[in-house]
Amino acid sequence: MEPDLISNHQSTSELCKEGDVGGDLQSPTHINPLTISVDMKSDHQVVAICPNNFPNHVTVIRATDQMKELQTYIRDVDTTRSDFRFCADRLIRMVVEEALSSLPYEGVEVTTPSGAKYQGKKFMKGGTCGVSIMRSGEAMETGLRDCCRSIRIGKILIQTDTETQEAKVFYAKFPADITNRKVLLLYPIMSSGNSVAMAIEVLKQHGVKVADVLLVSLFCTPFGLEHVTKEYPNLKILTTEIHPITPNHFGQKYFGTE
Amino acid sequence: MSLTRAVSLPFGSRSSSPSDNEDEPVLLSPNLSPTKPPKSPNSRAAALQRRRLRTTSFTENVQDVIHKGKRTIYTAGRPPWYDTKGELKEAFVIGICGGSASGKTTVARKIIEALDIQWVSILSMDSFYKILSEEQHAQANASEYNFDHPDAFDVDLLVQTLKRLKSGKQVEVPMYNFTSHSREKQTKRLYGANVVIFEGILAFCDERLIELCDMKVFVDTDPDIRLARRLSRDITDRGRDLDSVLKQYMKFVKPSYDHCIAPTMRHADIIVPRGGENVVAVTLIVQHVHSQLLQRGFKLRTKLAQDDHFDSDELPKNLHILKETDQIQGIHALIRSKETTRDDFIFYSQRLMRLLIEDVMSMLPFSTVTVNTPQGFVYQGKRLDVKQIFGVSIMRAGEVMEPALCEVCKDVRIGKILIQTNMETHEPELHYLRLPKGIRGHHVILMDPTVATGAAAIMAIRVLLDHDVPEENIYLVSLIMAQQGVHSVGYAFPKVKICTTAVDKILDDNFHIIPGIGNFGDRYFGTEP
Repeated sequence: MEPDLISNHQSTSELCKEGDVGGDLQSPTHINPLTISVDMKSDHQVVAICPNNFPNHVTVIRATDQMKELQTYIRDVDTTRSDFRFCADRLIRMVVEEALSSLPYEGVEVTTPSGAKYQGKKFMKGGTCGVSIMRSGEAMETGLRDCCRSIRIGKILIQTDTETQEAKVFYAKFPADITNRKVLLLYPIMSSGNSVAMAIEVLKQHGVKVADVLLVSLFCTPFGLEHVTKEYPNLKILTTEIHPITPNHFGQKYFGTE
Repeated sequence: MSLTRAVSLPFGSRSSSPSDNEDEPVLLSPNLSPTKPPKSPNSRAAALQRRRLRTTSFTENVQDVIHKGKRTIYTAGRPPWYDTKGELKEAFVIGICGGSASGKTTVARKIIEALDIQWVSILSMDSFYKILSEEQHAQANASEYNFDHPDAFDVDLLVQTLKRLKSGKQVEVPMYNFTSHSREKQTKRLYGANVVIFEGILAFCDERLIELCDMKVFVDTDPDIRLARRLSRDITDRGRDLDSVLKQYMKFVKPSYDHCIAPTMRHADIIVPRGGENVVAVTLIVQHVHSQLLQRGFKLRTKLAQDDHFDSDELPKNLHILKETDQIQGIHALIRSKETTRDDFIFYSQRLMRLLIEDVMSMLPFSTVTVNTPQGFVYQGKRLDVKQIFGVSIMRAGEVMEPALCEVCKDVRIGKILIQTNMETHEPELHYLRLPKGIRGHHVILMDPTVATGAAAIMAIRVLLDHDVPEENIYLVSLIMAQQGVHSVGYAFPKVKICTTAVDKILDDNFHIIPGIGNFGDRYFGTEP
C-alpha cells in the first residue's frame, strides 16, 4: 500500500527512463539503464551517487562508519525485524537531530552554576512542526518526539493508484497555524518523488511556503531528488544516502506487514 | 605442614576455620581496613568476605565516614599509584618466610595493623601447590607426600603472579583444593595493592622470588614451639591423630625445614625471633615500609593542575570534539544555565549524550561487507569489527551516560569504578571497582560527563590498563572537559581516544571548570547542597 513500494524492477526501469529525460545530472549520477540491468544480473555493486550534483538545498549527512553500518543493516535482506527496527530508529534519531540543527537559532548568554557566562544558542520555539507522510513517515515520529517532547505533528495519507501510478491524497490534518511554521516533512524513502511532490502540494494549499519545508528522509534516489528539486527549487532536503535503488521494503519491515 | 593450615581470614583466628574447605589462601581485601577487625571471625560478614572472588569491595568501616556540614564523605580509597605520566609505581613487596607454624601470618597481620594503610594484598604460597596425580593424591592421603619441598609448588606460576601483582596488574590467584589436591575452576582476583605481603614456608626458595621482594623477613621461631603449635592445631582443630601428625613431621616437615627452609634465612634482611610477639621487630619493619612508601608517594591532582606545559592551546591529537552545530550549542546553553530545571537538564543532557555516544561509535573499527538486499542487488556496506563492547562508568556521574550507551549498543557490558576526591589531600582515590569478566583486550568506552583536572579519568584508565585493556582501545567519553584535563590525559595516555562535546579553557583554584556546568551529578540526581 506504500506509495513508493513499486516492485524494484518497475522502479528501476522507471528511474532509468526518467533519469535520462532529466539531463541535468552529471556523469556520476547519470544512470544508463543498460549498465544497471547488467550490474544487477551479475550481482555487482551499484555505485553510490555523488551528492555534489544537487543544489545546495540537498544535504547528505556525513557518512560515518557507524552510519554506514546502520544503512547496511537496513539494506540486508537477512536482518531480523528486531535489529531492523533498532537500527532504523538509531538512524532516524540521527537524521532528526541533524534536521533540528538546521532550524533557526539565535545567540544567547547564560550564567552557569559557577557564576561564569556562557555564549550559546537558543532554539526559536513555537515556529516548527512535523508532518509525516503515512505510513512509513510515521516511523520517524518517535525519533522526532524523543528530541522535541511537545512538538506538533500533522499527517498526510497519500496512496498511489496501482493502475495509473498517480498519487492521491486521502487524508490530511495539520496544526491550525501551520502557515506560520517551519515544517519538517517526514518521509524515510523517496524513490519516485511522487508522494513528496503531492504532500508539498497539500502543504501549499494550507498556506505553507515551500522554502519553509525541510524534507527529512533516510534514502533518496537521484531521480526522485531530480524530480522534486526541479519542481520545488526552494525545498530543503536532508538524507543519509543517495542511491539509485532505495530499500523500498522499509515501511513493511518496520511495521511487520511483509 | 601446610596442608593442614587453616588460614582464611586476614584478621580472624586460625582455629576458627575447622573445615578443609576453608583452607583458602589469605586474600586480604585491599581496602578492608586493618585497624578494625571484624567483631567475630565467624560472623556472616566475615563469611561473605571469605567467599568473595574479587578483592576490591566497598568499605564497611564506620571510621571512614566523615560528616562535613550536610555532606557525608567516604574516605579510605586508594590514592594514585602512578605518576603524572600515568606510569606505574611498583608495589612494595614484603616477603615473609619461616617454618611451618612459625607465626608468619601473625607477623603479616601485625605489619598490616601497624602500617595502617589501605590497599594491602596478601599472597600466600599455599595457593600455588601443584595439582597432584592420582598416585600422589593417594600418597598425600596416607601422609606420604612431601608438601614441604620446593617441588610441591608451581614456582613458575607463583613468580609470574607475583611479578604482575608487583607491577600493579590484576592477577588471577588459583584456589587450591586441599581435599582433591587440585585447583578449583574459579580463581580469586587480586588487584590494586600498594603493599604486597607474600608469605610461605618456601618464600625464598627461588632466586626469582627473592629478587621480587623489596624486603625479606624471616620468622624464626623455636622448633619446639612450632611442633607444639602444629600438634595442637592438627589434633584439636583437624581431628587428626597424634601418630600421623608426628609421622609426617618426622618424615617431611622437619627434614624439609632443615634442608630447604632454614638455609634460606641468609637471604633475609630481617630475622624476627619469636614471631608476632616481637613488637620491636614489627615496628622496625613498619618504619622502613613507611619511609619507602613516602618516597614513592606524591600529590597528584595539584601537580596536574599546576603543570605549566599544559597551558598550550594546541590540543592533543587524540582529542575528538563533536561537530559544533547550532543544535549542540543550543543544548549546551540549556544544560549549562543555572536556571534550567532538573527535568530539562536531564532531558537535554541525555540528548547530548546520545549524540556523543553515536559519534564515539563511528570511531570504532569497521570492516567493509557486502550484503544481499530484497531489491536483488548486492550492497556494499560496513559492519562493526568489534564483537563485544564494554562500557565503564566512573561513579556517580558516569552512570548517567549508561542509558545512552545501552540505547546504541544492545548487548554492551557495563563495569563501574568509584573514584572520589580525598578532601584533605585533594587527590583522587579509588574506592570501588567492578569490571565485567573478559574485559581483557577489548574495546572499552569510559564514561564521565565532566573532566576537570583529569585525575579521576587517569586513575580509571590506569585501572583499565592494569586489567590488560590496550591503551588504544580505550575511549574516554565526556560532555565537557577542561583544557587542562585534556592535556593531562593526553600527556599520560597518548593512545587513549578522548571524545567530548566541548573543551572549556579555564580551571579555577578549586578545580572547577569555567564556565562549566556545575556539579553534573548533583544537578542530575538532585543532590545539590
